[in-house]
Formats: sequence, C-alpha cells, structure tokens
Amino acid sequence: MDKMSPPERFHAVLMGEKPDRVPVNPFILGFAAKIVGMPLGDFYADGNKSFEAQFMCMRLYGYESTPMYGYASCGPWEFGGKVGFPYGEGHSAPYVIEHPVMEIGDIDKLEVPDSDKPVGGYVEAQKVCDRCVQMGMPAIFQGGSVFTAAAVVADTTKFLKWIKTEPKSAHALLDKVSQMYMNQIEYFANRYGPEKCVVFDGGPVEANTVISPQKFEEFAFPYMMKVHKKIRELDIPVTLMHPCADQNLNIPYYIKLRESFNWKGIYAWIFGPETPLKIQIEKFGSHDIIGGNVDPPSIQTKSYEEVVRLCKENIEQGMNNPRGFILCPGCEFPPLAEPIKPMAFLDAARQFGIYK
Amino acid sequence: MVSKEEILEGLAKAVVEGDEVKSEELAKKSLEMGIDPYEALMQGCNKGMAKVSDLYECKEMFVPEILLSADAMYAAIDILKPHLKIDASAKKPAKIVIGVAQGDIHDIGKNLVKMMLEVAGFILIDVGKDVPVDTFVKKAEEEDADLVTISALMTTSMMYMEPVIKKLKEKNHKAKVVVGGAPINSDFAKKIGAAGYGKDAVEAVKVAKSLTGA
Repeated sequence: MDKMSPPERFHAVLMGEKPDRVPVNPFILGFAAKIVGMPLGDFYADGNKSFEAQFMCMRLYGYESTPMYGYASCGPWEFGGKVGFPYGEGHSAPYVIEHPVMEIGDIDKLEVPDSDKPVGGYVEAQKVCDRCVQMGMPAIFQGGSVFTAAAVVADTTKFLKWIKTEPKSAHALLDKVSQMYMNQIEYFANRYGPEKCVVFDGGPVEANTVISPQKFEEFAFPYMMKVHKKIRELDIPVTLMHPCADQNLNIPYYIKLRESFNWKGIYAWIFGPETPLKIQIEKFGSHDIIGGNVDPPSIQTKSYEEVVRLCKENIEQGMNNPRGFILCPGCEFPPLAEPIKPMAFLDAARQFGIYK
Repeated sequence: MVSKEEILEGLAKAVVEGDEVKSEELAKKSLEMGIDPYEALMQGCNKGMAKVSDLYECKEMFVPEILLSADAMYAAIDILKPHLKIDASAKKPAKIVIGVAQGDIHDIGKNLVKMMLEVAGFILIDVGKDVPVDTFVKKAEEEDADLVTISALMTTSMMYMEPVIKKLKEKNHKAKVVVGGAPINSDFAKKIGAAGYGKDAVEAVKVAKSLTGA
C-alpha cells in the first residue's frame, strides 16, 4: 500500500530523501493519446490536447511524472522549416517535411528565432506548461540536445558529412541552434519563474552508433556546455538528461559536464537500455538521480509478466542508488503498447521497490 | 611509373579515407593503364569498403566517415561501371528489395545497409522510406526478389514488418525477409517469422549471404 501521494513521492526523490517506494516515470507521450482515444497527430499539433491526454493518463495510472511536450525532431519547426504530424499509419511523432538547411550556404542565412516569444513547437509546449503550472505541476520543456536538433535543422546525411568536411559551417549551425535553445529556456524561465521549470535535454543523433566520442567531444559537448551554463545561470533547479540509445562512449563527457558545474543542480539521467545501471550508478550515482532503462521494444512486444520481471531487475539494480532512483523506460513509452503495460511498472514498484 | 598494385591500393585507401577526388582520379588512371575494371572494382573499391566494414564493426569508424567512404566508392564505380565486361555465363547475383517500414522516415541505416549489400555483389531495389506493406510485396513480385530487407527505427513502424512476411507467405513468394533497426532484436525477428535479423549493416551482409548462398 502506498504511503505517499505521487507528488510527495517525487518531491522526496528530488530532495534526496527516501520515498515510501520507487517512483515511476513511464516517459509517456504518444501512448497517452491512444489511451484517451485521441489521434496521435492531434496530440502533437495542439498543446492543449497534449496536456489533456497526458493529464488523464497520469490520473488513470497514478504514476509520478507530469505532462510535457517534446519530440526528437525539435529544431526545424523553430527555424521556419515544416514538420508533419503523426496522423499516418506507423507514425510515432512529428517528422521533418522541410529542413531549413539543405545546402551549406543556408547556414549563414539561417536566423536565430526571436527570444521574446515561443517559436515552433514551443508554442504548443507553452500551452502544456501553462496548464501544468496553473495546477501546481512543473513546467517541463526541451532544452536540447543541440547536436540532434542541428542534425534535423539540416538535411541529416549532409550534416553528418559536414562535421567531417565543413567543420566551421557545422559549428556555425550548432551555435545558432544552441542560441535558439538558450532563448527559449530563458523565455520559459521568465514566464514561470525558474524554480518551477524543468529542462529536458536529450537526443539520439549523438549516439555512438552514429558518431564517435571524438566527434561528440568536438561538436556536441561544447554546445551542451553552453546550454547548461545558461540553465545554471538561470538557476533552474531540475534537469532531465536523456542520452538516447547507445552513448556509452560519450559518458566521460557527461561526467565532465557535471564536474564543470561542481555537480550543482538536480540532475536525473535516463540512459538507453544499452547502458547498464551499474555503470550509471558508479559514474553519477553519488550526486545524481538515476532513472531506470527498461527496454522500450520489450514493453511493447513482451507480456505483462515479462515486463514486470524487467522492471523488477531494474529496481533491484537501481533502487539503492545513493542519490535516488526513479523507474523509467530507456526511452519514450511505446505508443502501441497494451494499456496494461504502465501497470506493470507500477505493480513492480509496489512489489519490489518498497523502502524500509 | 605507378604500378597496378599501387593504383589498386590507392583506390582502396581513397575509399577508406572517404577521398572522393582521389578515388575518381585513380579510377580514371586504372582505365588509362588498362587495368581490368572488374579488378579495380574488386581489389580497389570493394577492398576499401571491406576495410570500412571492419573498422565500423570494431567502432573505429562511424556514420559520417562511412557516408564519405560511400561517396568515394560510388564516384569510382560511376567511372568503372561503363567499362565492365558482361559475363553471360556468370551466376546471376541475388536481388534484394530494401526499404524502411511504413510510418518511418529514418533512412540513414537503410542506406548504409544498401551500400554494404551492393558492395557485396547483390542487386538492390530501393523502395525508399515510409513504405506501405503492399509496396514491398508488389516490388518483390515484380522483381522476382530473393530477399526483402526492412528497417525500422520506431516501435510504431516495426509493427509493419510482420504483415509483409505474412503477405509474401500467403502468395507463396520465394523472397525471404530480413529485418533490422534500433528497436529490433533476434527474438522479435523470430517472433514475426523473419528469415533473418541484422543488428547492423555488417551483419546484414552476412545474413543476406547465408540466406542466398552468395
């Protein structure tokens, strides 16, 4: 039996205190649309609908995370490109129809969007954040990753070649993307007050299945540092880090990021299933909260019992992390998973994640 | 005077280093020297890509480098191809239909697999990205394909792999299906009845070779 409410439980973990049990953040976005019978396209095209679906889903299951708006292809819309919404079969999130940068010369012409208003997807994110803050929940919004956003602001294949052949131009683009993120972070911090904000930073293009750790150091790390310096200057208390997919070779740079700021701020890490929890705890656990990393495709394709077992393994490995643990999947909860699957997370937390 | 071996080694090196200008230059030079274009292709371009494949497997090369190697290789192939002699008695290479599953627009992985399979000697029919189930099936029939390879990066699009397998089986088509992509693993491939699973481009080639006897 739960002895704390979801907000009490989440607050306890953020404050470094022991909650009654392991909290659950199922990283639910598109899944919420399915649960409430809403077209997935509407979920991303309208922030109000996105909030309503997520809020209902949160009430239905009683997990600890609160609504947010975001998707992996953030960037093009904000820079004046076109995105499509996921109304089609098999779609899972907004996708790029028109990249603002198709040729190297487009980088110079690219203008950093205004800093005094939300742009692109941030207009919808603001609707979600407004509703959250009105109800006493945090305003969670995207603040990265800069590298992934630059790789979709430009044609992705070309951008990946440019980091080898046109490094100066690639840096110029990354700089503009980082400026866009910093502007939006500052705008949201001013609107709600930094103490009510949570920045979400993460992306898949810097995974080591795509780029080397050397290229991460040269092209991703400096801009991540720049954005996090801004987050620290604004005194935003909580940052959710999601190094998506296999980023094991980039871990030294994530440690360097935290060391550079003397481990200040509350950071929670959601690595992909490729990064063992043992390593995450060893590298970050004394200072930072570790999120779990239950394999998302398994959540979709395996039975309730098997998902409970995977969650149990995650809990057993992570729950005694010195700075706290939250049970999460290693990426977004699969939108097509059966409705029983978030219950597998909560049931596992209640059965195996009790703190004495 | 540059030797034949030096030209071929230089061509392989240009491919590994992703040096498009050099690979073009050496491909032209090989023709001028009367080197058999097939030998230039195999001992130059393919040897280079084999090295790229090894370096990728041991995480010494990554996608940006491979994309440039591919450009260098295709630049040389464009020059050599018109001069290749067609051997009518040679065994016909296997045909592969390749594409990204419905709902999915992520095609970098698919393009890498396509390139590696081409280098390995297969004939590729690329149906692109966000490909409806029926398009895979229709193309396999039209081309009398030996294999259909499908990639997916999303948990939503991976669900469109099984219908391709089922439809091909219903039609008793000979094409075997190989699947791959970030959310896919061998258990899932087995569960949906795929003939093979490739965790990356290098493994996809091994699987394709074993399934076609190439």
